[in-house]
Amino acid sequence: MIDRSYKELLKLGRFPHTWCPGCGIGAVLKNVAMAMKELGWNNQNTSVVSGIGCSGRMAGYMNLDAVHTPHGRALTAAEAIKTVRPDLNVVVLSGDGDLASIGGNHLLHTSRRNPDITVFCNDNEIYGLTGGQAGPTTPKGTKTITSPRGEHYQPLRLNRILTTQAPYFYARTTVYHLNHFKACIREALLYKGFSFVDIISDCIELNGRRLGFKTAHQMFKWFDERFHMVEGVRDHLKDDELGIAKREVEAEVKAEVEEVPMEKVEVKHEDLKTFTREELKHFDGAEGKPIYIGYKGKAYDISASPLFQGEKKMRCHIAGKDLTKDIEIAPHGEELLFKFPVVGRLKEK
Amino acid sequence: MKKLLSGNEAIFKGAIRAGARYFAGYPITPSSEILQQASLYSEENPEFRFLQAEDEIAAAIATISASLAGVKSFTATSGPGFTLMQEALGWGHAVEAPCVFINSMRVGPSTGMPTQPAQSDLFQVKGGSAGDYYPIAFYPNSVEESFRLTITAFNAAEESLSPVILLADAFLSHLNEMADLDGIEAEVVPRTKEPLGKGHRLFTGTAHDRMGNVKTNDPEAYRDWLNDLKERHLTTADKYPLYEYIPRKDSETLLIAFGITSRIISSLKERFSIFRPIRIYPVLERELKEITEHYRHIIVIEGNDGQYASWVEWAIGRKVMRVPCLGGGFKLQWIQSQIEERLKEGK
Repeated sequence: MIDRSYKELLKLGRFPHTWCPGCGIGAVLKNVAMAMKELGWNNQNTSVVSGIGCSGRMAGYMNLDAVHTPHGRALTAAEAIKTVRPDLNVVVLSGDGDLASIGGNHLLHTSRRNPDITVFCNDNEIYGLTGGQAGPTTPKGTKTITSPRGEHYQPLRLNRILTTQAPYFYARTTVYHLNHFKACIREALLYKGFSFVDIISDCIELNGRRLGFKTAHQMFKWFDERFHMVEGVRDHLKDDELGIAKREVEAEVKAEVEEVPMEKVEVKHEDLKTFTREELKHFDGAEGKPIYIGYKGKAYDISASPLFQGEKKMRCHIAGKDLTKDIEIAPHGEELLFKFPVVGRLKEK
Repeated sequence: MKKLLSGNEAIFKGAIRAGARYFAGYPITPSSEILQQASLYSEENPEFRFLQAEDEIAAAIATISASLAGVKSFTATSGPGFTLMQEALGWGHAVEAPCVFINSMRVGPSTGMPTQPAQSDLFQVKGGSAGDYYPIAFYPNSVEESFRLTITAFNAAEESLSPVILLADAFLSHLNEMADLDGIEAEVVPRTKEPLGKGHRLFTGTAHDRMGNVKTNDPEAYRDWLNDLKERHLTTADKYPLYEYIPRKDSETLLIAFGITSRIISSLKERFSIFRPIRIYPVLERELKEITEHYRHIIVIEGNDGQYASWVEWAIGRKVMRVPCLGGGFKLQWIQSQIEERLKEGK
């Protein structure tokens, strides 16, 4: 006996629904409702958010408090709802055009902020509701009514975008691989954090027929040819893989360049060239000469100092002078000087 | 105790007094101080939540969504940001979400003059989003009044179930004045909207009937819904017929000014009568009609090229004279000379 109690979560009074026969959205709605029912999610602890489009109509059929946002804004709305009501489970049901194109900026930033929401993206690679225009995920070369000679550009690869910054949860499945589909929905709903399920779905009427498919089933077979399942949890998914990519630990940010300690060549004091204070004054950086300063009996070449570049003095420090006293009262210590090469010793007065 | 405060600080404190629990915003001069205060306040008060959004579109959507979720929420921006928020404002009216949008105006169009005050967003406030809707907007002219009117805006939002707009300008936002905000007693209307997670409602921007059922091919259901909305907004607005009128018996000329302009010309009350609308929208039609009857000349002085003057003409059915203070130039002497010129032309 099939458990039909999930129907409590649907507004059956509104049926028949608005979607065409053969459309994949019905499968998304039903399986999400079944998973929610299994987990005990209901109208007291759950809220559903949708954007605009065929898939945006899903929220309206869920029998709980649902929010139907303007085009592309479902993620922001869901995040705000979760922020002020952490007691609610928040689920986003929307499509690829809504989430990845007009809502692309929100996808980047909401996933970065990692709120505990679950997103189901009905990815049918087309703008169905408006008549079959090319979408952000339409494969290159596909003929649509806005790409009559074939789509010119590469599609947006959500698997790559959403798995660059940990923590992340990205699953790709299709409406055809039913068990895999159900497992992904459940995993995503249980995941604590921003989880995104990319559900490859069909739009037979406004995409499939133009591509030469006669039935929805032929499109499902086509999904089976294009994608293959991978076992276990991966770090990343390739463009033709179905599975779950997950990483829960925030990636450590390493400094790009490691500081290599400079080798110091010790030069004996006696071997150094001797400068008188008068001689030192010549090295003030003018006319391409190096900048020397004196400190505790030694002369340093500080030409490389960024603070002295092109200037004869840096605030009160004047090039070509003995700065022993200056450095004693300076806010920084003498260690600043030691990274510069010693070029000689100062002759005592 | 009196304290020195800026307009932006007073607005934020007013929102807290009104019970706001959520702020979403995006940095923009001259309203950024409100965003900054919200971030600090949220660190110290965990029940207050704050989001620095990726853009004003997200900020406005988050504000309305937080309101639907069950808390009083608000956002603050300036002209260009307000333009991006128009989408959400239309949605806010459609889903009937009570919240407050603060628009501190600067010179436009587009980026304009970011640090110079203007009053040129009046048309944008009235109808920048698609379709018919009936916004309520208030415009204070002092730091203390900014505090009071923020609370009024939150109250009107709860009563009208819509985003209410509080206008300010770059001048007022950064104006520092002494004010004793703790001593002000103000009535606060509690939440009127049931939070999410209680029923089976659908909050949608698609046309719907009174029950929230999507009706995209039913003029009658749409008309009923829109009439309900209009009536509720006008009834709420009627509770707040806010204006200031300083009559001068021997004057044949009435000056109309609001916001910071009314402060600048306040010394002219020795010579002319002055009318200051505080509720900008819905336009104070009845009050304008009654008061302007007694005057031969009406001069509207405002920081734009005659936006409110058009509303006055529409309301009273006769021509008025205009003194547009453009590009952030609000010099009293210049305004005075313009008034003299207009009066000469008018005779």
